[in-house]
Amino acid sequence: MTRGAVHVLVLGACLAASAAAGQPPAGMALIPEGDYAPLLRGKDDPATVRVPAFYIDVRQVTNADFLGFVQSNPNWRRSRVSPLFAETGYLGDWSSDLEPGPRAPAGSPVVLVSWFAARAYARWRGLRLPSTVEWERAASAGFVTEDGATEPAYREAMLDWFSVPTPSLLPAAGSGRPDVYGVRDLVDLVWEWVDDFNSTLVGGDSGDNSGLDRDLVCGAGGADARDFTNYPAFMRAAFRSSLGASYVVPNLGFRCARSP
Amino acid sequence: MTPRLAAILVYFTLAGAAGLAAVPVKPCCAEDPKGVSGLAPPSSRSVYQVDATWTDDAGRPARLASLQGRPVVLAMFFTNCEFACPIIVSNMLRIQETLPPESRAKARFVLVSFDSERDTPAALRLYRERMRLGDEWVLLRGQPDDVRELAMVLGVKYARDNRGQYAHSNLITVLNPAGEIAFRLAGLKSDISAVGQAVVVAGR
Repeated sequence: MTRGAVHVLVLGACLAASAAAGQPPAGMALIPEGDYAPLLRGKDDPATVRVPAFYIDVRQVTNADFLGFVQSNPNWRRSRVSPLFAETGYLGDWSSDLEPGPRAPAGSPVVLVSWFAARAYARWRGLRLPSTVEWERAASAGFVTEDGATEPAYREAMLDWFSVPTPSLLPAAGSGRPDVYGVRDLVDLVWEWVDDFNSTLVGGDSGDNSGLDRDLVCGAGGADARDFTNYPAFMRAAFRSSLGASYVVPNLGFRCARSP
Repeated sequence: MTPRLAAILVYFTLAGAAGLAAVPVKPCCAEDPKGVSGLAPPSSRSVYQVDATWTDDAGRPARLASLQGRPVVLAMFFTNCEFACPIIVSNMLRIQETLPPESRAKARFVLVSFDSERDTPAALRLYRERMRLGDEWVLLRGQPDDVRELAMVLGVKYARDNRGQYAHSNLITVLNPAGEIAFRLAGLKSDISAVGQAVVVAGR
């Protein structure tokens, strides 16, 4: 066995040990098991969903991070990507295939990436995308308590983001104030992909989507809402329901998650 | 439940009872003697790029890409669906019936389940018998991750509720012989004749 292989094994053992001991992997924070109250739910669904503990990146994936991915995975370079997996405009703010350039600063969140690309990146790192309930559970935490809805400063930070247009150059990922779990910028930098964004059936026409919400017609989807004051959560649900998996959007990035 | 819906459900229940064990189950995709490896790599727009290994209703591993070279009519469904799926499948049966003989011989009809938990090969086989689906029909189940990815490629939305039922888009997709999306029909009451035409065109 080579010395390199031994190092890898030792490193792997250390990582496994730290995970077992509850120490989050580098760059990730633990979101402990807890309840999440979905904004939109069916008549028969319970008011809260138990979300098992998971780890989530403390910041979004950056252009520099994503460069490493496309260097190792030529099929995900801008000029090579399949149109099935990313529409035109994928990494459109980059200067070239392997050069993010001035419009995509190294430390800023990578945007203009499709769900397929985000998912492939996560797999490459041995991680996955957070689910909708995981992401929403993480984002429900405030700066100082586990319930951001009770913190005026946190609510304001969320709402402020909606009131200003996306800057032409995004700030660095991870530059915002950490929440109580140490996660940053969940609600005030860019939108983020979630693994099951296509489970959001807001505003579905009863002819096109059916099964449970047979009476759901157009805006009636909002009638099931739990908290009408949670404007950001409404916006996220509406945004998710408008997406397709190959879409790329100038203010839509992602971060990764994993189970303990 | 509307009277019309009740009538449809009763129809399928009776049809299923009458058709039990009458339909031989044929191996999925066995028509392709060369298998996936014998074919050209999928085009950059081909759905077969995301192909996972599925399991058919006889418990055998199956790849969608082995249908390459044929027009395919595909829908996602689950066997415990009380409302939309029987209508989708009956629409697909009607599409099959109305195809001209040449297209009919070539086309394959594929159902992929959302319900990785309950839709075992045995459950799919029962469904095949209940719905009297012929040899041209391929019924598949897969891992949740693969189901999610296929749904994303097709543009199908779905969500599982706490009873284990699924809300989902009602979508019938036609794939051309290269596996590219040639036509999509959304909704239950839409005019299905366009799907048949798309299959004929795709098969030329």
